[in-house]
Amino acid sequence: MKRSAQIRTGPVHRGHKFLNVRWLILSIFVVCFLISGLRFADNKAEPYPLVYPANFGGRINVPSNNPTTREGVALGRKLFYEKKLSADNSMSCGTCHRQKLAFTDGLAFSVGVDKSLTSRNSMSLVNLLWVRNFFWDGRSASLEDQAVFPMTNEHEMGQSLETSVRKLQQTPGYREMFRKAFGEGDIDADKIRKALAQFERTLISADSPYDRYLAGTYQPTPQELRGMNLFMDAPAPERQVRGANCGHCHGGPKTFKELFHNNGLDAEPADSGREVVSRQAEDKGRFRVPTLRNIALTAPYMHDGRFGTLDEVLDHYNEHIRDSPTLSSFLKGVSNEKGGRTLMLTSGEKADILAFLNMLTDTTFINNPAFSDPD
Amino acid sequence: MIKFKNISLLILLCCSPLFVLAQNAAVVTVSGEVLTPLELKREDLTAFKPLSHKVKDREGKEHEFKGVALIEVLEKAGVTTGAKLRGENLAKLVLIQAADGYEVVYSLPEIDPEFTSNVVLLVTEKDGAPLPAGEGPFRIIAPQDKKQARWIREVRSIKVLFAKD
Repeated sequence: MKRSAQIRTGPVHRGHKFLNVRWLILSIFVVCFLISGLRFADNKAEPYPLVYPANFGGRINVPSNNPTTREGVALGRKLFYEKKLSADNSMSCGTCHRQKLAFTDGLAFSVGVDKSLTSRNSMSLVNLLWVRNFFWDGRSASLEDQAVFPMTNEHEMGQSLETSVRKLQQTPGYREMFRKAFGEGDIDADKIRKALAQFERTLISADSPYDRYLAGTYQPTPQELRGMNLFMDAPAPERQVRGANCGHCHGGPKTFKELFHNNGLDAEPADSGREVVSRQAEDKGRFRVPTLRNIALTAPYMHDGRFGTLDEVLDHYNEHIRDSPTLSSFLKGVSNEKGGRTLMLTSGEKADILAFLNMLTDTTFINNPAFSDPD
Repeated sequence: MIKFKNISLLILLCCSPLFVLAQNAAVVTVSGEVLTPLELKREDLTAFKPLSHKVKDREGKEHEFKGVALIEVLEKAGVTTGAKLRGENLAKLVLIQAADGYEVVYSLPEIDPEFTSNVVLLVTEKDGAPLPAGEGPFRIIAPQDKKQARWIREVRSIKVLFAKD
């Protein structure tokens, strides 16, 4: 707008230079006034700054039709803890995703409104900004899509989005919050999904001792350092390098890579995992490789919560990998001893790795008031 | 006759959920900045010139991979290669994705014979047998890469994309 005004009134003849400058200034004022007026009328929500360390990388996922705004996040946070979104007003997203437990619920399977159990373990909600395929089987391509499942599934919150919309319309305060977040227009299902997704994108964890170590502000203990090296290195007995190679799938500053693997829990998986989504036999028993951030807080472990402690998890990778046609090739024939069939870490080495895993606990994140129940 | 038709239609309708649930054959797709998106099964690669490459593994044992030149597959899909690989097309990249989510990128000139004498292969065989589970059915072999991190296994998708700034 400004540019076209400039072109129209721009100085062409020397004689009119002074007049033209006045016109230019006036037109700029007019344009600015019009823009500010438009802003007012639109009641534009204010952008929410998503702040994260540079080493997390900028491959983040924010759909162009749902920019993250302060008003949208505030609404999403309220909705995240809103029990009216469940059929019997007993559960919110926060029921199975408790901040103190890094947004998990401490259970192998969660109890839904119908008192039945979910089929998989409640996942930690953290650094979702970088995730591209959600759930243990990666079936959902966005947080906006993902949110519908737990809200409407009969074994979880068990309520149609239409009912949720109606209940929110009847609750004082929501119309105003939706209007501030999304402009004019009534509460609808799409806006509920969008607001929840916006809040979830703000759940950034970047202040664990490991983050601080990477930033150069934390000196790990000798045990933590030994554990870190074992975590990152692949075993190479021919070169006298000992390792657990965890970092191959769990490495990087986020301790998260978007991967799906069969980690050898069963020779014949009861839950076929990603195969159901892709319909490819090669994906049988493959599940998301989850983030290890806050892993000490998110017991029990695995998609079915079969392991109660991290010690059991380490024992699994060290001693109990079950072979099957789709077992991850990165877990086959890997050993710290020449000709070894299992990883063969010592109990001391397992304790070292455990010390490193505890470095991934971000107490700033689990205590951040911005993520807690606003009521 | 009409009755027969109805019955066969009924059978077909009853069976259709089975077809939907049936497992998909393993394919590699070629999509993005292409004229003709492709969905290739293992046997479809016989339409291209066979190539092979021998590699020594960590224990010093030699393996022979067989496949085709990736450039031929891209040309079949109508990617801007050869004389067309100029101007803005030089800002295109090839994103290759595996079944487990692993991803690597090549630039078009790294693959194009007018730019390089290196040949990036899309292989389906190792030592005379189809690639084993966890490695195949499709794998990339890039002999010029000393580190094998871009020799991506279990290739499911090849996308030609413009680099975005």
